[in-house]
Amino acid sequence: MKNNFVLKKLLGGLTASLLSLSVYAQANQELSFWIRASDAGFVEPMVKVWNAKHPNKVVLTVIPNDDFVTKFGTAVAGGAAPDVVALDLIFVPTFAQAGQLSDMTPEAGALPFAKSLSPSHVRLAQYGGKQYAVPFSAESSVLLYNKALFKRAGLDPQKPPKTMGEIEAAAKKITALGGGVKGFYFSGACGGCNIFTMTPYVWASGGDVLSADGKSEVLDNPALRNTLSMYRRMWTDGLIPRGAKTDNGSNFISPFFTGKVGMVGTGAFAIGLLKKEHPEIDFGITPLPGDKGGSSSFAGGDSIAIPAASKHKKEAWEFIKWALSEEVQVEQFAKNGSIPVRSDLADNAYSKQDPRFAMASAAMQAGRTPYSVHFNQLINDANGPWLAMIQEAVFGKGVDAAIKDAQPRFRKILTTP
Amino acid sequence: MFAHLRRSLARHRAGYLFILPCLLVTTVFFIVPLLMTVWMSFNHWPLLGSSSFIGFKNYLDLLSDESFWGSIAFTLKYTLVVTPAIFLVAFGLALLVNRSVRFVGLFRTAYFLPVVIGMTTASLLWTWMFNDQVGIFSAVLMDLGVIDEPVQWLGETNSALASILVMVLWKASGFTMVILLVGMQAIPHDLYEAACLDGASWWSQIRHITIPLMRRTFALALTMSLIGSFLAFEQFFVMTRGGPFNSTITVVHWIYRASFTYFKLGYGAAMSVVLLLILLAISGLQMYLLRDDHE
Repeated sequence: MKNNFVLKKLLGGLTASLLSLSVYAQANQELSFWIRASDAGFVEPMVKVWNAKHPNKVVLTVIPNDDFVTKFGTAVAGGAAPDVVALDLIFVPTFAQAGQLSDMTPEAGALPFAKSLSPSHVRLAQYGGKQYAVPFSAESSVLLYNKALFKRAGLDPQKPPKTMGEIEAAAKKITALGGGVKGFYFSGACGGCNIFTMTPYVWASGGDVLSADGKSEVLDNPALRNTLSMYRRMWTDGLIPRGAKTDNGSNFISPFFTGKVGMVGTGAFAIGLLKKEHPEIDFGITPLPGDKGGSSSFAGGDSIAIPAASKHKKEAWEFIKWALSEEVQVEQFAKNGSIPVRSDLADNAYSKQDPRFAMASAAMQAGRTPYSVHFNQLINDANGPWLAMIQEAVFGKGVDAAIKDAQPRFRKILTTP
Repeated sequence: MFAHLRRSLARHRAGYLFILPCLLVTTVFFIVPLLMTVWMSFNHWPLLGSSSFIGFKNYLDLLSDESFWGSIAFTLKYTLVVTPAIFLVAFGLALLVNRSVRFVGLFRTAYFLPVVIGMTTASLLWTWMFNDQVGIFSAVLMDLGVIDEPVQWLGETNSALASILVMVLWKASGFTMVILLVGMQAIPHDLYEAACLDGASWWSQIRHITIPLMRRTFALALTMSLIGSFLAFEQFFVMTRGGPFNSTITVVHWIYRASFTYFKLGYGAAMSVVLLLILLAISGLQMYLLRDDHE
């Protein structure tokens, strides 16, 4: 009898606390927000500011870069999608095609600064005539070079390479310094890294990897051949540290921090990072050139979207609008060394302090981005055809055989619905 | 027939009650998922979107999927190398710790300790040790003057496989050692005493007493180790990611890719079913070869 009474009391208490919880939840919504690890540096402080000012709290989840598509895809399939998601702009078509993102065409069109949003982001956010995401953060690829090593090797640090040939020549001179110094670095086992830093050479030389509509491969072209050949020569001539072969992207930028690497293709994020953590390295940035001059860049970054299953779409949109405001894009992102996604904010107090940011911004505006619903399988998959081609071309059988092997593998994936 | 079942249930009520929890767990966590996997394998089942029945199409596609058969071949190669290696090391260790010397408990614990660590954690640990810049192996060999520059242990197919083999030996031998040790200790001591009196050497005792009497233990240890090796995933996923040149992709890694990179769950399920059949066949053959002739 006594036990029964205790049980009733317990149940009563539990119901009361559940009720109070649900009342609390109605007043102050919790918004779940997923990002990839590389964004944590600038998103964490931003979320802190939001949570301090707004009753609807944002709960942030950081996911390892390589696992993002898998984790997000699995969560969506399992009915556990977050309320807001910031994902690599390249993957928006995949999830839009699968019907997993909310249509935000009217809301995005009504933004007063809609016209100045990064064109690459907006293009990739569209599927079937509707818009499923808006730009969140921007990242353009550039060539980073160590001015001190340039000087020591007898090169003019004010005149960075303007052609691919000049890159190779500079890499030779820098490697000749000896003492473990190498001219060039790239992450040889990372597909995503190389679409970001290697394809701009191809684009600037008039070639491409995928057709403009993203539906077929165009690998058999001289520009791609030349780019891969340059990498292969630099590898066989010993101008690249041996660790490059197995680097899956975890050392994307760190070899440059040792001061023993002359040049590396990287993102504009490196500017802020180097200034903050390695002030001892005197570095410059320059556009990634083509074989006869010109330049190109991968216009990357993240787009922000609301998963179709989000239960707080209205609140999510409020958060997204705020993420695009000057308060965030300038006072948070630009201040911490990244580029705003709004061209009307490109010229800001922080970009004026360092001309290197203006260069990265210009690269962003002129940059390109491939469009494909199969991007993850083609490019980012550690065992996919893009990376296999690079590995075979640079470290293995050679350029021609690598391209020949890659073509049917690309086609097989591209023809899958 | 039902009457018989009812009578049996009534008579052995306690017995059935005792196995009920186990039966429930097996049903919920093994039989139901297994049936679901088989059902999925007959469907086009994308991770996102709706599924549709396609009969045997996934299996027909599998027949012509060179990458899948390539991964089976690699897994077989790995299994054929790693299973005997683990067995020999574990048997040696078991012989060493099957003696009443001082601190033997300490040695047993030390050899078993790596088993307790998760495979992913162990793989990460060894990835760092094999790293050419910060790893211990290259550094020690360079200090000893054996090599001139750091070695990319995970950069070539054969050295990558060898590196993983060393890691797995360290990680898994302790478990097989314990199984073999139990088998060894079950052998009546008087047999050895009698052999001693007859003047049998240490080696002939092992050859004529230990090994013949441990056939069943060997069968158990080999089967478990073989299945474990055939299902290898974490060590390759973490240490080589299937590289270099996609030369170290195991079959489970391939199933993972089909399911979670390509989002084709139905196809992944078909591969899983084929893998299950292959494992059943191998284990059956093994049991047959190592069967006890006296039964």
